[in-house]
Formats: sequence, C-alpha cells, structure tokens
Amino acid sequence: MRRSKLVLIFLLAVGFLTVSRPVSAHHGAASFDNSRTVTVEGTVTEFLWTNPRVHLKVDAKDENGNIQHWVFEAQSVVNQANAGWTNTMFKPGDHVLVDATPAKSGRLVGLFRSRIVINGREFKRLEEAP
Amino acid sequence: MPKLSIWTTLPIAVILACVVLPTLGAQTAPPRTSAKSVDDIKIDKWNSLPLHGSDYRGVTSGPAPKRDLSGIWDATGDRVGGAPGGIQINGVNEHRSVLPGNSAPTGGEPNERNIPNPLPYTPLGEATLETHKPTGQGVRAVPSALGNDPVNICDPPGFPRMEFSEFRNLEIEQLSDHVLILNQNYRTWRTVWTDGRELPTDPEPRWYGYSVGKWVDDCTFVVQTVGLNDNTWLDNQGRPHSSDLRVEERFHRVDYDHMELTVTINDPKMYTQPWQGLKTFPLRRQPRGFDIREIYCSPSDFAEYREDVGESAPSDK
Repeated sequence: MRRSKLVLIFLLAVGFLTVSRPVSAHHGAASFDNSRTVTVEGTVTEFLWTNPRVHLKVDAKDENGNIQHWVFEAQSVVNQANAGWTNTMFKPGDHVLVDATPAKSGRLVGLFRSRIVINGREFKRLEEAP
Repeated sequence: MPKLSIWTTLPIAVILACVVLPTLGAQTAPPRTSAKSVDDIKIDKWNSLPLHGSDYRGVTSGPAPKRDLSGIWDATGDRVGGAPGGIQINGVNEHRSVLPGNSAPTGGEPNERNIPNPLPYTPLGEATLETHKPTGQGVRAVPSALGNDPVNICDPPGFPRMEFSEFRNLEIEQLSDHVLILNQNYRTWRTVWTDGRELPTDPEPRWYGYSVGKWVDDCTFVVQTVGLNDNTWLDNQGRPHSSDLRVEERFHRVDYDHMELTVTINDPKMYTQPWQGLKTFPLRRQPRGFDIREIYCSPSDFAEYREDVGESAPSDK
C-alpha cells in the first residue's frame, strides 16, 4: 500500500478517536493516561468552583478500608458553566460516583469523564447545539 | 358609476380577504417559536450563556448601523461545527498548531514547521519561541510543571493575546472621543482614541498598549496599537512578539447582529512579514441585558489548585 494511503488511514483513525473523546479529556492531556478509566465512589469533602480548573475533592475507601483522598478536575469555570455545571451542584457530604481518566503519575488525581452520579442521580451535562 | 354586481364585488371581496384574513390569523395564532430579533431570544439574567448558532434560526438581522460597533458581542463560537471558536487553545486561529480534528501532525518531531500555516519567523523569532514553554495542548505543549506560560501565574495576557486566546465576550461602547472595548477575560478594558491624535512615538510600554481608531467607511473601524510591552505571548502556543509590535484590527460590521474582526501582526524583529492571526473572525451580537460572566485569574486560587493536584512535582516525563 502506498505510504501516503497509510498516512491517510492513520490520520483518519486518529481523527475519529480524538473526536469521539469526551470534551473534558482533551485538557492538559499530557499528564493523564487516556487509555484507562477509573471509577471512584465516595463522599465529597470540597468543591472548588475556581480557575484555572474547577475541581472536586472526594474521600473514598480502598479495598482495605483506608481513606483515599481523590481530586477530580474539570476545566475552567466558564467552560463548566457552558456545560451546565453550577457552583452548588456538589456539596460537602454528597455521595458521588465518578468515572475519571487517572494521572499517569499514580497520584490520586483524575480528569472527569462523562459519568457523574450525585446522591444517586446521574448528572447530565448540557449538550452542545449542532 | 359602474353598476355593483356580483362580478365586481366578488373579486374585490376575495382580494380583500386575502389581504386582511392572514393578518387577523397572525394576531390570534399561537406565538411563533422562532425569534425575529436577537433581542427576543431568552437568556439568563445573570451570568448569561452565549448564544449558539442554532439560536439564530429564524432571526432576521437588520442592516448595519452607520459607524456603530456598540453592543455585547460573543467570540466563543460553537464548539461543535459552526463558527470558529475564540478560545483558541491550540494557538491563534489562522495558525493553529495542530491539524483539524485536534491531532498532532505526523512526520517526525512535532514542531512549528509541521503545522498548517507556519509563521514566518526571523532567527530571533524562532529563538524566542523556543524559550516559551506552553502547557495544555498544541504541538509545543509540555507538562504543567515544566511550563512557563505567564498567564499560569496570572500575569495579564495583554494585547493581542486578549483576542488570540480565550476570546469570548466583549462589550463595545462608543463615546464622543473614544471607544471602550471591555473584555470578559481578566475583566479588563482598552481605550481606543478617536479624537484624531497620533500614536505616540517611543512610548513607555504597557500591557495593553496605546490605541487610536478611525472609520474608513460607514461599517469598518480600523484600530492601530503600539507600545506593547514584551512580557506577553501572542497566543497559547507562545508565539513571541517584541515591543516594536504594531497591531491593526479591522472591525467590519456586516449587519446589525454580525461583525467580522481581522487582526494583522507587524513585528519585523520576530517575523519577516506581517501576518493575520484572525481573518474576518465572526463576532455575534448578544441580546440586550446579557450579563457577562466573570473570568478571572486569582493567584491564590491558582496556587491552591496546584497544591490540590500536586503540581509541584513533574507528573510525567
């Protein structure tokens, strides 16, 4: 097969994979392992509706019952507001389940993916108009 | 006088019915779902969300008012198709440092030369570019802990980065001898003097420079800016500029609800020829009463974030 065709097929594949990623995954991608998803369930300790990144602190128990302190990052305040988030959607004490892209370093930091469940209710982000 | 017969009155009645009945129907019919004017579109009173392209369906835009840029404008655009966005995380629109579709270019080591529309750097321009380490995205991005983007410590983006990055809402007000451009990002403003004064020669450099403007026709306002300090980057990819930079903006009011902005960079120290960062970039008028959300860089918030995510240590090699 000609090299230019191979390059084209590769580009199309990369383009498709990129477009199908949730918006939150593209921000600061260098530090996060986009091939993995972690699911964390726990209790909100703090929600920071601030720049540069809106972020959520969650205490979760690991298999041994030890408390893990997780931090989940979204994007800037304005980006999150455009996606339908509000400064009061999480409160300390809320029970949450979050899908996240984990940090490559192993630190308990992740990027929000699509699924966020708050006190049993799934949060739906505002869809962008076509 | 012609006799009034069925053959004269009936056609007249039919014609009258065709004219009158539709208007009666419109008064009693249910209200139309599509707005006629941008100002009819419902928005939140506070922290208003910018309109999407689809919100403009059914809107009829009036003609451009003469010599008038005033209003609240949005440059965010639609992130899914539609107008190009003003956020510009991959660098200024006309010279984005990734291929369409957000992927890094192929063909060896990612660098400025392997992108569509590379810039005409001088040797000093290239050398200065190399010292700028952007974070986030684009072919030049490094992990956050290794970056040196001045906005990451809440330094002002200055001008024209104000329009080449995070370009979202702006308000333009025209007074008798100057135009005020108020920018959402960093909650800052620029003054464009229209009283006929000349640009200063050899001025004390400023973050937002010195601007004068004039109308070249009834719909086009041209602004010249000089005196920009060299502490700032031009865009999110760290494109450099010197304090010799001269920027020209052309605001062209297309109709009542649409404006196009073209920004030309002229900096012979860093670039061998002038280039455009934005070319007829679309700005959309927002409804009256649009409350611009605050975008602000708080050093303490940034420091707290870095501590929360442990960014003091490099997170990947």
